Amino acid sequence: MTPISLLHRAAPSLELLRHLLWRSGRGAFRLRATDFPRGEVWRQMHQIGNRSLLFVCVTLSFLGMVLVFQTCLQVNRITGDLSQVGAEFIKILVHEFGPSLCAMMLATRVGAGIAAELGSMVVTDQIDALAMNNVDPIDYLIVPRFVASMVMTGALTTVGVGCAVFAGALTAAYSFHVNPVVFVDPSHVRIGDLVTGFFKCAAYGAAIPLVSGFCGLSAQGGSAGVGRSTTRAVIASSFMVIVLDFVISGVAYFTLQSAP
Amino acid sequence: MTAMVECRSLCKSFGVRPLLDRVNVRLASGEICGLIGSAATGKSLLLKLLCGLQASDGGEIFIAGRRLDASSKEELQQSRKHIGMLFQNNALFDFMTVRDNVAFPLVRSGATSAEEIRERVHQTLRAVGLSGSEEKLPAELSGGMKKRVALARALVARPALLLFDEPTAGLDPVTTARIYELLGAEQARTRATMLLVSSDVDGLRRFVPRLLMLHAGRLRYDGPSDKIDSSEDEVVRQFVRGADEGPL
Repeated sequence: MTPISLLHRAAPSLELLRHLLWRSGRGAFRLRATDFPRGEVWRQMHQIGNRSLLFVCVTLSFLGMVLVFQTCLQVNRITGDLSQVGAEFIKILVHEFGPSLCAMMLATRVGAGIAAELGSMVVTDQIDALAMNNVDPIDYLIVPRFVASMVMTGALTTVGVGCAVFAGALTAAYSFHVNPVVFVDPSHVRIGDLVTGFFKCAAYGAAIPLVSGFCGLSAQGGSAGVGRSTTRAVIASSFMVIVLDFVISGVAYFTLQSAP
Repeated sequence: MTAMVECRSLCKSFGVRPLLDRVNVRLASGEICGLIGSAATGKSLLLKLLCGLQASDGGEIFIAGRRLDASSKEELQQSRKHIGMLFQNNALFDFMTVRDNVAFPLVRSGATSAEEIRERVHQTLRAVGLSGSEEKLPAELSGGMKKRVALARALVARPALLLFDEPTAGLDPVTTARIYELLGAEQARTRATMLLVSSDVDGLRRFVPRLLMLHAGRLRYDGPSDKIDSSEDEVVRQFVRGADEGPL
């Protein structure tokens, strides 16, 4: 296959991607002027946020326990001073693990849901039926998910970090006899950590519905195609989270000096 | 009579395979026409080209005298307000009730009051025999009911051009007859132009006065439906008779 023919084949996908980025970005800033059903952002916030709450809390709690247990185990062997474990754990949760782990969870649950829903709409001609009624599917379907995901990723990360700290404090207290008051010490968290964490939440929250929406809207070939697009959405969303994590952490390190 | 639909040398390929090859079709305003052909000969594709859901590779499409294939997004949206389409697999919105699905074209047109929308939806659902199913979701309906909801959605805005992709597929003979009766009544009332794609050749022949047949990207028959049996084209004769032996 020549580069020209490759480009020719990729042209519709590139056009969809351009359309998706432009209209979603514009829609988020001009929410009232964007064409989607009334109350759809709230419904999507419920779908993305409330319905992921238990999943995120349980997952981050277990990860918090594992991280604290392993860290305490290693620190105990080297220095035996566990007083700083909690403070460093909270710092790294705020700027790194909290947003990234929460987003990885959302990439699987929310990303798969968006891709499967939109993919099945494509293969059953529902997207064409929207177009017949002069509805732009990106405005109508993606923009509410885009806005809801950006808001709820931040909210879920905040709750998830709280759960991880709580679970970590319990682990440290019961396994290594660290006083929870000593463990829950946010003094190491600087403004740069909060800013980095905030930007990560916003970037992940934007990337997951865009990547999944792209995979869903480019689905082809019946239910097998929907399955393929869903798999692609989960892989691509997770990969995007990791790449964004690397990029934002790098930028933050050199600009905010927030990294340890 | 003015043409509602006119295609001139319409071409469309997927990869190296031409699905439509210089197809010419003209439908007069108020005409009812059927389109038949073997599977994957581009019948549904032709309907999608006629409402601008697919872009053609060549040729010209005119809807009510307005060029569709070279129109801007706004012009395309304007043209689509006059087209109703029934999709092959119904394309009902899963997340909407029957009432919302049927009301959707009216709500989107923005030209009707809430009271009138309610009344029109009620009338149309009663006409397709679905009164009392307004609050159901598509997942709760049988195949035949879904087809009738999709039909109601295509008819509710009373468009000047109606495109039906397999309106009777999967329906029993009684429901099929009722659907054709309903379409006939609708056409008599609104004088809409109708183009129906169907695999039910016998049922279609009884309903439409004119038939088109697509085969291998070309229009192989365009004439009265009662004369198609005696077409000079052996491909057309074999297809209509359902004969096992022949060029197909």
